[in-house]
Amino acid sequence: MNIFERMQKLDRRWIYIVVALAIIIPLMIPYDSDNVTTPPTENLYQMIDSFAGREDRAILMSFYHDAATMPELFPMEVAILRHAFERKVKVFALTWYPAGAPIIDYALNSVKEEFPDIQSGVDYCNFGYKPQAFAMIMGMGDNIANTMNTDAEGRKLENLPIMKGINNYSELNLVVEFSGSVAGMTWITYARPKFGLNVATGVTAVMAADYYPYLQSGQMIGMLSGLKGAAEYEKLVDVFAAYRDPVIDYRITEDAEGNQILPGRPFGREILEDEASLDLSKITTQTLAKFTDEQYLSFSAKYPEHLALLNSLREVQDGQVVIDVTKITPEMRNEMGEFLYRELNQLTRNTLYKFKVARIGMNAQSVAHIMIILFIVIGNVGYFIQKAREVKN
Amino acid sequence: MKKTVPLLIVILGGLIFVAWAFSPHYIIQEVFYNQFYLPWVYASTGFAALLGVISLSMMHSSKIKRKAPKWQYSYFFFASFVITSLAGFIGGTQKGGLLMWMFENMQMPMSATMFSLLAFYMASAAYKAFRARSPEATVLLLAAIVVMLAQVPLGVKISKHLPTISQWILDVPNLASKRGIMLGVGLGSVATSLKILLGIERSYLGGGD
Repeated sequence: MNIFERMQKLDRRWIYIVVALAIIIPLMIPYDSDNVTTPPTENLYQMIDSFAGREDRAILMSFYHDAATMPELFPMEVAILRHAFERKVKVFALTWYPAGAPIIDYALNSVKEEFPDIQSGVDYCNFGYKPQAFAMIMGMGDNIANTMNTDAEGRKLENLPIMKGINNYSELNLVVEFSGSVAGMTWITYARPKFGLNVATGVTAVMAADYYPYLQSGQMIGMLSGLKGAAEYEKLVDVFAAYRDPVIDYRITEDAEGNQILPGRPFGREILEDEASLDLSKITTQTLAKFTDEQYLSFSAKYPEHLALLNSLREVQDGQVVIDVTKITPEMRNEMGEFLYRELNQLTRNTLYKFKVARIGMNAQSVAHIMIILFIVIGNVGYFIQKAREVKN
Repeated sequence: MKKTVPLLIVILGGLIFVAWAFSPHYIIQEVFYNQFYLPWVYASTGFAALLGVISLSMMHSSKIKRKAPKWQYSYFFFASFVITSLAGFIGGTQKGGLLMWMFENMQMPMSATMFSLLAFYMASAAYKAFRARSPEATVLLLAAIVVMLAQVPLGVKISKHLPTISQWILDVPNLASKRGIMLGVGLGSVATSLKILLGIERSYLGGGD
């Protein structure tokens, strides 16, 4: 048996070992890579962002999947929840699938670690598992409170503060269906034409091709496709949460009735492609809190009692003032207090592992895709050489 | 009679829902749908779930009784069913309870592992079976390589044009074929639905006529 015949008959266990290593190593050793965002992801991000701070707008997240597809879909759900809570967008969640109910709780609990102040019934409402998707989808178009009746905790919807200003799809104006199937079609087929509801989907990569016709026809406003879509959304959330345009006043103001007014945010490819913005979405561990001279002065002015301590940690690198949080000893931490310590850590732009899991996964996917392409090429080379030899013989 | 009554129920039910879909009249939208149909839906769902549990339990207990192939696994069904139900009913479904712990530490990793096996099968199939045996297969193979490369950050590093080419493949040839298939399926569905509504298609009643 020559080498080409051996190549054709390679034991598949060798292939499995190579694939396993190609996936495990990048997962264990994260590196910074740029996930270029695509229009379907950007459109969804912009639509959710346009609801920021509005009492008469909300999004509905439909968790139509079980634990099997969580590696691809869960990072999307967490990224959208982070975006919504950061921009004070009301969130409703439901599932048509009994196995989806714990996923909603798990997603909300994960995001609550970053936003401990959000409250059930005020900032978000979990309907939990609801049977009979079709009847519910159509019923919500008329009246959400009448159709759903209660949330997952059994509270009457009409008594919840989150329902103020929310009646039907005119206000709950965007649904994002997460599934590993064609379940999102129900919204497109029935709720979109009858009620004008905006529909977006978060789907596993293998299902994405089925949804492209709806995306191109405008029946769907956006789509997150597989882990790539999740990684793109994670990037958008991190970049625009941290990006500050010097000419925009980002302070949250209040109107005469005491309602909060959130400033709008610029969105553009030039921001995403800017080197400085790429720094805002790094997935490697970040330990440096960076300031310009003016930023450092205004930051340290907030803590006059800890000025000496901050100055002792202060260093200058590349014309910027930096504080390395790894140099803060337990004694220093006791002295400065948890509030200042946490604020310094936030300024490093270090992202918790659970909030960058899709981008780390994309690194593994990069290597896996290259491996599969190599397998295809090697397999074909062996096949054609063997075939040529057979013809010659 | 055994077939006529079910046939009439199907035809009547179908016609009512055709009216509901196309008519905005108060009687069909409010009286029928909101006041009659929705409450029945709520009520029947619990019974449907109960029926599912009973049916599954009967199937597994019969498997154990008959000592059918792999009957031992049926005990795992009963054990899992009882433990998860008790965990949910007694400890609740929220964080901190046994059900959530089992979900996070057992169901989630096990299900994700099963799904991730797909990557291994795909790699193996790519090596063993994805061959450029004909011009059509070669086009498919090249398109697959371009789309796979464009999906990942490393591919974009190779060429900035890859995402554009990949998007064109997805938007033009992919959509053309998808639309063709979808139109065919749509027309087929309409034809089959009409045949059922008019009583021409009766195979769902069984009996072969």
